[in-house]
Amino acid sequence: MIKAEQKPIAEIMEMIAPYKKILILGCGTCVTVCFAGGEKEVGLLASSLRIASAATGQGKTFAEATVQRQCEWEFIDAVADQIKRVDAVLSLGCGIGVQALAERYPDEVILPGVNTTFLGMAVQPGVFEERCVACGDCILGQTAGICPIARCAKNLLNGPCGGSQNGKCEINPDLDCAWQLIYDRLARLGQLDRLATIMPPKDWSKDRDGGPRKIVREDLRL
Amino acid sequence: MSEKNDVSSLPTEALPPCTAACPAHTDVRGYVNAIARGDLEEAYQLAREANPLPYICGKVCAHACETECRRGDIDEPVAICALKRFATEQHDLRKGHAPGLSVAEPKEDKVAIVGAGPGGLTVAHDLARMGYKVTVFDANPKPGGTMQVGIPLYRLPRDTVELEVAPLRELGIEFVTNTRVSDVDALLADGYKAVFLAIGSHAGRKLRLANADLPDVWLNMEFLRRVALGEKVDLSGRHVLVLGGGNVAIDVARTAVRLGAAEVSMTCLESCTMMPAHAWEIEEALDEGVQMFHDRTFKEIVAENGKVKGVRCVKVDFRGFLPTGGIDMDEFPETEHVLPADLVIFAIGQGPDLSFLPQDGSIAQTRRRTIQVDPLTLATTKPGVFAGGDAITGVGFIIDAVGAGHRAARSIDAYLRGIDPATVQPPEPEKLGELQKKTVSHVRPLKRDEMPKLDADLRKTSFEEVYLGYTETQAIRAAHRCLTCGAGAQVDTDKCIGCLTCVRVCPYEVVALVRGTANVPIDQCQACGICASECPAKAITMKLYSDDDLLKEIKSAVRKAKRAVSVGTGNGKPIIIGFACRYCAYAGEDPSVVKARLPSNVKTIEVLCSGKVDSLYLLKAFEFGADGVFVAGCLEGDCHNEKGSVHAGQRVAYVKGLLDQIGLGSGRLEMFNMSPAQGADMTEAVATLTASIKELGPSPVRRR
Amino acid sequence: MKAGSNLEKVLSSGRFAATGELGPPKSADREVVRHKAGLLKGYVDAVNITDNQTAIVRMSSMTVGIMLLQLGLEPTMQMTCRDRNRLAIQSDLLGAAALGVKNLLCLTGDHQSFGNHPTARGVYDLDSMQLLTMVKAMRDERKFACGEEMDVEPHFFIGAAANPFADPFEYRPLRLAKKIAAGADFIQTQLIYNVPKFAEYMKRVRDLRLHEKCYILAGVGPIKSVGMARYMQKSVPGMDVPEEIVARLKGVPKEQRRQEGIKQCADIIRQIREIPGVAGVHIMAIEWEEAVAHLLELAGLLPRPQM
Repeated sequence: MIKAEQKPIAEIMEMIAPYKKILILGCGTCVTVCFAGGEKEVGLLASSLRIASAATGQGKTFAEATVQRQCEWEFIDAVADQIKRVDAVLSLGCGIGVQALAERYPDEVILPGVNTTFLGMAVQPGVFEERCVACGDCILGQTAGICPIARCAKNLLNGPCGGSQNGKCEINPDLDCAWQLIYDRLARLGQLDRLATIMPPKDWSKDRDGGPRKIVREDLRL
Repeated sequence: MSEKNDVSSLPTEALPPCTAACPAHTDVRGYVNAIARGDLEEAYQLAREANPLPYICGKVCAHACETECRRGDIDEPVAICALKRFATEQHDLRKGHAPGLSVAEPKEDKVAIVGAGPGGLTVAHDLARMGYKVTVFDANPKPGGTMQVGIPLYRLPRDTVELEVAPLRELGIEFVTNTRVSDVDALLADGYKAVFLAIGSHAGRKLRLANADLPDVWLNMEFLRRVALGEKVDLSGRHVLVLGGGNVAIDVARTAVRLGAAEVSMTCLESCTMMPAHAWEIEEALDEGVQMFHDRTFKEIVAENGKVKGVRCVKVDFRGFLPTGGIDMDEFPETEHVLPADLVIFAIGQGPDLSFLPQDGSIAQTRRRTIQVDPLTLATTKPGVFAGGDAITGVGFIIDAVGAGHRAARSIDAYLRGIDPATVQPPEPEKLGELQKKTVSHVRPLKRDEMPKLDADLRKTSFEEVYLGYTETQAIRAAHRCLTCGAGAQVDTDKCIGCLTCVRVCPYEVVALVRGTANVPIDQCQACGICASECPAKAITMKLYSDDDLLKEIKSAVRKAKRAVSVGTGNGKPIIIGFACRYCAYAGEDPSVVKARLPSNVKTIEVLCSGKVDSLYLLKAFEFGADGVFVAGCLEGDCHNEKGSVHAGQRVAYVKGLLDQIGLGSGRLEMFNMSPAQGADMTEAVATLTASIKELGPSPVRRR
Repeated sequence: MKAGSNLEKVLSSGRFAATGELGPPKSADREVVRHKAGLLKGYVDAVNITDNQTAIVRMSSMTVGIMLLQLGLEPTMQMTCRDRNRLAIQSDLLGAAALGVKNLLCLTGDHQSFGNHPTARGVYDLDSMQLLTMVKAMRDERKFACGEEMDVEPHFFIGAAANPFADPFEYRPLRLAKKIAAGADFIQTQLIYNVPKFAEYMKRVRDLRLHEKCYILAGVGPIKSVGMARYMQKSVPGMDVPEEIVARLKGVPKEQRRQEGIKQCADIIRQIREIPGVAGVHIMAIEWEEAVAHLLELAGLLPRPQM
């Protein structure tokens, strides 16, 4: 899912400084799963900000609400009244949600309370790792199910580079070398000969380099 | 605490086995949990709600609840009966026997109740609260029925009975004692719109044996009655033989011991293991020197010159009583022998004395010679006449009569309002299922404290109460053993996003996803509260407490602390709020002793396991104005719920980080891990924290 | 001849080659280049110019290469994939070839997080394998990466890097084969201090007959101090520095260590020359270009052939 992390409170305080009545709006999907912006986090952040505000004599008020998903018009329409009552909305949704709110409420101040970080999964409770960069042209079938674009620091397609040591990436000893993983898995699947073929340069135009992307499914249009 | 005006409303969801097994459907879980939390008044209220005779039942109930208790699957059942006794003994009687019980608007109709035993008293109590005019007739000098004339004093002191009866008088119930009702029709003619027959089983049964009518051959119920009513029966030097193996036979035998008998024996058909009396009663009788001769049938009472010499017996292999009335057993005539005795007491059974029923048979009897009733409504064959208790079952327990009393009251009320009584009886609720093995394996074994008893040697010579009751420490420990069956976590499937957090953190392997959302089988949940505090979607609520409840407590604690630090010895001290796990912070010592050692600026909120302490509570304490906060939880490895205190520690570390970010400083929040034996260490740790908070100064949130 | 460079001629004549390296200045100062070039001129067959090595911004490899040509040395331009996309790379290569650069080393490049601009975007439009393929296609097919043809193609003697000691160890010779298939005419390895392990690697290389398809130059470099030895041993990924290397330096008094380092390196060169399949050495005297001449003398590699 989309992973995110709450912004440091100092940064949030700076963002909300000009505003008095603030609605902290959580999202019940991705950011709930990674404990960054669900109802629980909304409660904790609201309490923290109330304390910070009271401690500095600012007298700000913080309302709390959470919608099922901020990336769905119907769900964010449902909180229109609550949004109208405040000076600013501090959204704990991912970047998509924040933008949806800004688009739906063009006259309101919508602020991001989290940093959307990556597409990934919890490999263990509390440990989230990036797995996909949405490059638009999936090659996982050729790399034994391990993505070198997402998991190799240099997104090599013909790795590993010379910095691979003990299965770890040279830039961070906590990072697995993706190409070591690919190598091991290809070996396990009996497909090491794949490595002899040179993978040609990637078509980055399918990724963000080709411009912001859009999918239109005529069969789904109402 | 919540008061149910409608006495006929019973829970409709699946019940824990204890409540399901109780004929009165007592909220066992509720009162035990209240004791565990230290809310003793609430415990009393809950025990009292289902049963107008909680003091009595706390002492002598047959407690089928304990037999069904699921804790028995792990080690031993919860000491439910002892805990009820403790709750009643802790109740402050100055508040009244049943404070807060409502009484409806008075009604015109009057109802007669024949028999002031547990059945009759319950019906009287219920109907009086509904507003009816109730008169209770009883043949004995004092009300109580079997409780007054059947149960020995060493099990049930008579002032306990009086304690239960007194509030009934206050409800306006009229007692007419020393009056044996012989004409039911006359009562109806006398203006009583309905009659409840609760005469109990006081007619002891005899076998038709030779010499059974001699003066030294007594009957169980008569014997016990004479002793109960104060007659000085002196059995010094006598050799007493009690025929029978049930609870009444044991009562007879142990009473005989106390009346000075030289020797007291019991003999019965049943083998040692099949004896119908309660196992604990058998043990106590044996401790008091009663001898038991099992596997025997009685052929005749041997007499010489009108004096009883013994009972001629033959050994048998007894398998049971047949539904037709016969006995399934093999006799071994070659084993014939005489058990010597000079006083034989029959205790083979008893039944209701139905001689008072109308001769025309308008109130029908069953073949077993009990009053015939519709089992759903307890209506007899005569309109307006209902019956319950031993009068219809032949032999039962006090709590059975209480349950019947509630049922009859609903019926009578319906009848008087012209409604079919069958429609006011709620369906028997479902019982929770069995505990799965993997959950059982995670529950911490906790030893059940034995009920403190008088020494067997002391017991033999007096009618002093044998059971002494639990101390507060024992009661709290006993309450901690309850699994709070069926009162666990509830998932709001609209909010649940299937993130699997609850599945992963549950120490008891209870939670699973069903159709994409979390499902907490109510049968298995141990109500530890960890999933609810960890859930990122706030989709899980706990049945026995809510976030709102806790937040109210925190607010109130801060308010109290604020008052305490504004005056006197508390002046200027920091406001410290603590979340104290009851399993460790107070165990091993009287909680009140530990609490008394904490200074007035420190207010604790007690939780059953620190795993219930949500990060939000910690922040809220500061938001409401605390200067410092601590969480006291068990050492890792000691936690009641395996990792509850570990979770609590992780949350404390996380909130410390937030406190640094919001300018309060992580030094204002601490986690103390302690073992149950370290009550004193908590006060030391709190003192150290208080000193460092004092140095940090008051929280910037507080307006001075 | 692919490009007809001096290096190519030395190698194709069967002589043991010796190349050097020049680290460009972290400024716009041409004097540094002139000075360093002076230290290497005549002592090596070609001079590598690093390309923002360790992701630290320095004068570009291509421009320094052109300066070297003007100073009468033969450059080996280094091109990484970290800083330029395929357009910029091809564009630079056209210009470099037009100005006379003939040797080109194709590298992926050290990750930007190591350098002095860690917040920069890493381009990595291509990897080193794809870069080799692209340059070869430019030279041999006169085609751009998009497939379009060009009139006058660049002629490069194409090189690639190899690290015999990186993981997966057993895969490295196969990776070398892949680079050769992609277009590598010569290889320069990572610094070698563990000669027996390198010999093992070379055996497998020879088993695959890769030494016949490509010229393999072993990377060597003198160590100045015990501190430097330790640093390379512990903190540089992909470097294998056996303990005896460190011990040898420790064994002499401090003021003699630089000299000992050069002697040690010369010994390594001599050992490496015994390994069949090695076509030369690439000397990386990092910020110690002064040592190169003396090293080559001790190693018996002077004078260099005049081709």
